[in-house]
Amino acid sequence: MGPYDSAVSTGSTTSSPSSAAKPSEIDGLLAGAGYKVRSTELHQVAQRLERLETVMVNAPSEISQLASDVLHCNPSDIASWVDSMLVEFNPPVSIPSDLSDFSDLTYIDSVVSPAINQTVCNNSWVEHHTPQQQQQELTHQLTVVTAMEEDSGIRLVHMMMTCAESVQRGDLPLAGSLIEEMQALLTRVNTGCGIGKVARYFIDALSRRVFTPQALCPTGWSNENEILYHHFYEACPYLKFAHFTANQAILEAFDGHDCVHVVDFNLMHGLQWPALIQALALRPGGPPLLRLTGIGPPSPDGRDSLREIGLRLAELARSVNVRFAFRGVAASRLEDVKPWMLQVSPKEAVAINSIMQLHRLLGSGPTRVSAIETVLGWIRSLNPKIVTVVEQEANHNQSEFLDRFTEALYYYSTMFDSLEACSLQPEKAVAEIYIQREICNVLCCEGSARVERHEPLAKWRNRLGAAGFRPLNLGSNAFKQASMLLTLFSAEGYCVEEHEGCLTLGWHSRPLIAASAWQPIQDPVINHNNLL
Amino acid sequence: MAGSNEVNLSESKRVVPLNTWILISNFKLAYNLLRRPDGTFNRHLAEFLDRKVPANANPVEGVFSFDVIIDRSTSLLSRIYRPATGEEALPSIMELEKPVTGDIVPVILFFHGGSFAHSSANSAIYDTLCRRLVGICKAVVVSVNYRRAPENPYPCAYDDGWAALKWVNSRPWLKSEEDSKVHIYMVGDSSGGNIVHNVAVKAVESGIEVLGNILLNPMFGGQERTESEKRLDGKYFVTIQDRDWYWRAFLPEGEDRDHAACNPFGPNGKSLVGMKFPKSLVVVAGLDLVQDWQLAYVEGLKKAGQEVKHLYLDKATIGFYLLPNNDHFYTVMDEISNFVSSNC
Repeated sequence: MGPYDSAVSTGSTTSSPSSAAKPSEIDGLLAGAGYKVRSTELHQVAQRLERLETVMVNAPSEISQLASDVLHCNPSDIASWVDSMLVEFNPPVSIPSDLSDFSDLTYIDSVVSPAINQTVCNNSWVEHHTPQQQQQELTHQLTVVTAMEEDSGIRLVHMMMTCAESVQRGDLPLAGSLIEEMQALLTRVNTGCGIGKVARYFIDALSRRVFTPQALCPTGWSNENEILYHHFYEACPYLKFAHFTANQAILEAFDGHDCVHVVDFNLMHGLQWPALIQALALRPGGPPLLRLTGIGPPSPDGRDSLREIGLRLAELARSVNVRFAFRGVAASRLEDVKPWMLQVSPKEAVAINSIMQLHRLLGSGPTRVSAIETVLGWIRSLNPKIVTVVEQEANHNQSEFLDRFTEALYYYSTMFDSLEACSLQPEKAVAEIYIQREICNVLCCEGSARVERHEPLAKWRNRLGAAGFRPLNLGSNAFKQASMLLTLFSAEGYCVEEHEGCLTLGWHSRPLIAASAWQPIQDPVINHNNLL
Repeated sequence: MAGSNEVNLSESKRVVPLNTWILISNFKLAYNLLRRPDGTFNRHLAEFLDRKVPANANPVEGVFSFDVIIDRSTSLLSRIYRPATGEEALPSIMELEKPVTGDIVPVILFFHGGSFAHSSANSAIYDTLCRRLVGICKAVVVSVNYRRAPENPYPCAYDDGWAALKWVNSRPWLKSEEDSKVHIYMVGDSSGGNIVHNVAVKAVESGIEVLGNILLNPMFGGQERTESEKRLDGKYFVTIQDRDWYWRAFLPEGEDRDHAACNPFGPNGKSLVGMKFPKSLVVVAGLDLVQDWQLAYVEGLKKAGQEVKHLYLDKATIGFYLLPNNDHFYTVMDEISNFVSSNC
């Protein structure tokens, strides 16, 4: 076998003469190029491409303009992409004339897009992965972007890895002495930026784990955390991207509905919602009745902080003539929320919005039923129009400490590197504390205290698929607007990418945060059973 | 378009395997949507449609990769591919830039194609190709994510290539044990081939030694319409019209295709006579409409007394090296392997 006989590709084998291609097998060589085409459909896809070419030849000057206006979805699925192009170009579509009136309002572009685009998007064929493909996707990918030059930086990394390894082996004395050595080395390194800064935080985390394991990890959902969150929101575009992308998808899902209900799994200061309220206000045909249910921790000082935020949002809604109702649900943990608390009405279109919350449900106690399965189950029972999920694109839930440490080192190095581009103070400094809290939780906590159990998109796809959800594609519109948002607000180096209908935002080619949208697969047996 | 340029779909379908045809046709049609008649380019849609893969520091089939920042001011990234030695259980940052082991370890500086406007170092098709090159040549491959036209026209791509060459040449961990020097080869397809030539010229002028150039279907042109362009226009995925668009996008405003960047041995070209230019392997696909220009390039090198091997593949179309499903692919991979391993 030569070096290139086993094609570097995901998915199943190419159709060979000796084995009949199973209907669900995709062409392995095209898979390696990033495309999913079933082996048995190659001829059909080729025919459609020919048709598309013929059609395009007949409309040469309009093509690029039409291409800009069309909503593209999931380019990996060539068959459906070609079909969506065919629908656009043949017969020619007349674009509604009122599009031009809203050209300066970014949200409206997506809502006013011709109905055709939406149906094309929602009908796109959904791939059901073969077990082999699932296995491939679960293979841990370790992405690294390096800009390190200093030798002492490299020495520090070397020592950190050795220290993490000894922690894993249980050799705490060795770990402890390494930590002391590293802290000495830190004094001779620039810890204000680059590898020095990252090292400082990771050595600190190692030190906590080794010397003060009994100290309580600061867990999320406290007042302090809201302030940290707000600064993180300002200092870098990750949360803005999350909110923006989720809002875009929710807006599209609510199209045509007069009563809509958004359930936010972590209200914080409600930063996500003013933009959605304003976009709904400008909807052609008028805004719907909007209900927002915000989940958050109970306030320690007796204030009803959820209600305060609700009141501020209500004021905003009133000022733009959107009928609005708010409900706060106080819970220390997401798994303590019961669906009846959300008071979802069967007549409403529901959107469930989870920004970096689902991973907190992945820790399992010895006898507890899996929290994630419970929550996904009741989400499904609410029959939402859309579930927007944003998660860190990282594998921080591995059981082996060294694996977690390595992954976290690469992930947060990249994130810190991106933060260098920020010049706002004190936002940048406080954002670092926010990130530090996360790092400590990933590395220092175990069991139910460890809530930062990030998992990559591939794993979430499997979980959500297994729980009865199908993906809704975030299309080229969301992509383009996310890219434009980045050029407006952020430094060069951030990149938005599309992966099978989901969008990721990363720094220098390493994705750091992933946004996706889902809908329950309709089960013919239990489709009337919406509420518990 | 003139009525005589009827699209001859069945011809191209006969000469390439079906999955290759689908791949290249898909590119062709998508690219048609991205080029605007006014010379601008729909970059957002291009990035959305481009299939990309992340780097992977875990070895996959014996190769691992990671991205490096070569120049922050231009956001110049490169993706580095290395053979896994099998020793490292878990790659840590030291393994990534561990010194290469071996008397002679070739380092390939790779420039992806895309007619100066499309694709990136992390495009799936080029990630796959670079991984293959690691195995075939037992080399470290550095794939340069150069700036693209029309937003960044001439000479940005060349400047980025030059920056990458200097970077590679100065990495201590890329030095071969035999002579403590970095053994550099440059490989590029389409516009990447063009960049290889131009960076090589700069290298020679500046005293950096490049051991060999490999140009796969390199992108060259000129004002004249050659016989191959007229004969093959629109027949095998490529048209004269799209070639013209890309040259207009890349070349400085007001310049025509006889500019030295496009036509290195044309009326404005620079003489290479007497220069210690690297030996070249130039692969020409027999169904590529710009082959006359590629052949002119080969002739130009020969006339300047430079060593060049010309590999003409009769029935090959553009992109034949992207999928390992045809004879030309294997022929070329063998040639590349021999070219890199024979060190004179």
